[in-house]
Amino acid sequence: MTANIARGSLPSTARKPWGRFSSLSPSWVFALPALLVYAAVVLYPSLAGMVYAFTDWSGIGEDKSFVGLANLTAMLHDEQAMGSIGNTLLLTVTIVAVQNGVGLLLALGVHVKLRSRAVLRVVFFAPVVVSPVMVAFLWKYIYNPDPAAGLNGLLGTHIDWLGDPSLALWSIAGTVVWQYAGYSMVIFLAGLEGIPPELHEAAMIDGAGTWQRFRYVTWPLLAPSLTINLMLSTIGGLKLFDQVFAATNGGPGYATETLSTVLYKQAFVFGKFGYSTAIALVLALFVAAVSMVQLYYLRNREVAQ
Amino acid sequence: MTDLREARMSRAQFFRMMGGLAAAAAATAACSTKPQTTTAQGQQTATQLKFVGVADQKAAMDQLVAAYKQVKPGVSLTTTFAPTDQVQTSVRTQLGAGNAPDLHVVYPGDGSAMSMSQIAKAGLLADLSDQAWTQTIPTGFKPAFQNDGKTYMYSAGSSVIGAVYNTKAFQKAGIDAPPTTWTEFLAVCDKLKKAGITPIALGAQTPWVTQLITYALVPSTVYAKDPTFDDKQRAGQTSFAQSGWRQAMEMYLELQKRGFFNDNPNGTTFEQQTSMVATGKAAMAIQVSAVLPDFRKSATSPSDLSMFPVPGADSADQVWIPAGVVVGLGASAKGKNLAEAKAFIDFLGKQENINLWAKAISAIPLTQDASSTIDPAVQSFLPFTKDRAVPFMDQRWPNAEVQPVHFAVVQELLAGKIKIDDALKKMDEAYAK
Repeated sequence: MTANIARGSLPSTARKPWGRFSSLSPSWVFALPALLVYAAVVLYPSLAGMVYAFTDWSGIGEDKSFVGLANLTAMLHDEQAMGSIGNTLLLTVTIVAVQNGVGLLLALGVHVKLRSRAVLRVVFFAPVVVSPVMVAFLWKYIYNPDPAAGLNGLLGTHIDWLGDPSLALWSIAGTVVWQYAGYSMVIFLAGLEGIPPELHEAAMIDGAGTWQRFRYVTWPLLAPSLTINLMLSTIGGLKLFDQVFAATNGGPGYATETLSTVLYKQAFVFGKFGYSTAIALVLALFVAAVSMVQLYYLRNREVAQ
Repeated sequence: MTDLREARMSRAQFFRMMGGLAAAAAATAACSTKPQTTTAQGQQTATQLKFVGVADQKAAMDQLVAAYKQVKPGVSLTTTFAPTDQVQTSVRTQLGAGNAPDLHVVYPGDGSAMSMSQIAKAGLLADLSDQAWTQTIPTGFKPAFQNDGKTYMYSAGSSVIGAVYNTKAFQKAGIDAPPTTWTEFLAVCDKLKKAGITPIALGAQTPWVTQLITYALVPSTVYAKDPTFDDKQRAGQTSFAQSGWRQAMEMYLELQKRGFFNDNPNGTTFEQQTSMVATGKAAMAIQVSAVLPDFRKSATSPSDLSMFPVPGADSADQVWIPAGVVVGLGASAKGKNLAEAKAFIDFLGKQENINLWAKAISAIPLTQDASSTIDPAVQSFLPFTKDRAVPFMDQRWPNAEVQPVHFAVVQELLAGKIKIDDALKKMDEAYAK
């Protein structure tokens, strides 16, 4: 609309408010305060903290010495840390697949013209706004092993949801999906709302059925939403901490230990701050690498609308 | 909708905006630095002391802080309490950053990240040795309070681990007296089970609860036979695998095999365990006496609950009990108001205050006088405290890793995932780190 015209004509007609700074793009000037704050409270502490990954600092006291890569090699021989990587990956893959699958179905469901859809959208999104720790505590009650209580009472089963080492990890994945499926739903819904109805009309005139319209119109145009959803849920899964910590604290045994809970315990329970920082560093690099690869592939499959 | 894109800002407007931002930032910064304690110039303002403690300390501290206000109106103490995990995280971080509270929770002995030895070794705890009460610490308890002969921690007394039991449930099953040998203990459990009552509630989903049954048995299976076990273990002459720890774990699992625990202990929490015993659904729980108030709170009548020592041996005179110093507090060596912080600890060291604190958590007072009271529920432990009691095992462990490994292997044993051999091997490995 007029925005384009205005933007195009601005440099020639506008009184130059920036004087001799006119060669400097205003966007940078505006970003500067934010960048400074970001550098001071995020970048600098993170980089400064990284140094500890190469020391044997206990977290308290002045006593520390440089140990080179010893913490990283120790990690390779640490059964608990390596086991937690397996758990973290299992949790992440499960959460990414199920959360987005459920989120997509919910989005498609509340996108159709239903009288109650506004209410349903709120209901499905509601768990997202609750603190993850609260959700984990609530689910601890729902997962009560007592056959007369909680989920067992509802299903008539006698399952030890959080106490059985082979099941606990999946139970936690269940709470995460329950909480965040609504989040995926909202993002998919925004994608769905952005698809022009003309395309569906044209497809219908061409004789496309419901499935074909989803497959050839909706699904390709949802690509940007999918990119965002997959990335957010992957990052969320890889750094999962709150729900595990509150629900099982890594137990029973080490069955639900994730990289985040292991690094927490190394720092604050065992007093090995240096080693814990090394694990954190590996986790951060891993998350960055996975997100970058994911972003590259997913961006490529996005189509222009 | 286009005006925003076209909007032009004069330089004056821009600077006004930036100025406003700067003022807002300055105001925020000023607010965040306001609560300064005054020591040098401000005689008219009160000295402010900060204390961070664990939730178990709240009942006692609330009363004592109020009492201190009467004694010393010039000092005001602000207290915060949180569960163990959170306190461990926040206080350790503050200690590491050099801005620890004046007074904070300290765990007795060694073996945990917030334990007296670990923090004292880092030079972050003030030496309290010149205070009068430190001269009366019973010899057996000294390792819990002292590092290299200097006292760094205050604690009001000791608590014991034993069976918290529901007297009504025992009556219902026709049991008139608590058992005094392991065989009798098993017989009692059997009787309870036949009466349709879960003999022992176990909330092994809560990590620290997992250790209590082994702790209750090990004094009899290890220390009764060799009171110097800790020293030998430190010297590498013995290990968990070579000692009565094996027998204690076998006894633990025997209770499970005979069906004396509630179903799915690994999925049951401390809170559920508490309510099972308080309501009589289960007859007993092996617990530390410091949580008796929690059990009483959930019971219809507090007198329904009492305690007895868990007999870990087959002759009554071979039964030993675990009695450990309760969680205490220390003063930050680098605090700005160190003298005032130490004065408060000196106040806590007075006999009447030791009595008050001990009473609030059903503990046995550190030192006793005519006005000391001992909870009737722990009376049956008193004959043991003199020469048949050992501190909680972790207080002599060399690092903070053994205890969490103990939690984890107990959960894995209960789940049938590992054998006792593996469990003890893992604990020995953690001990050697």
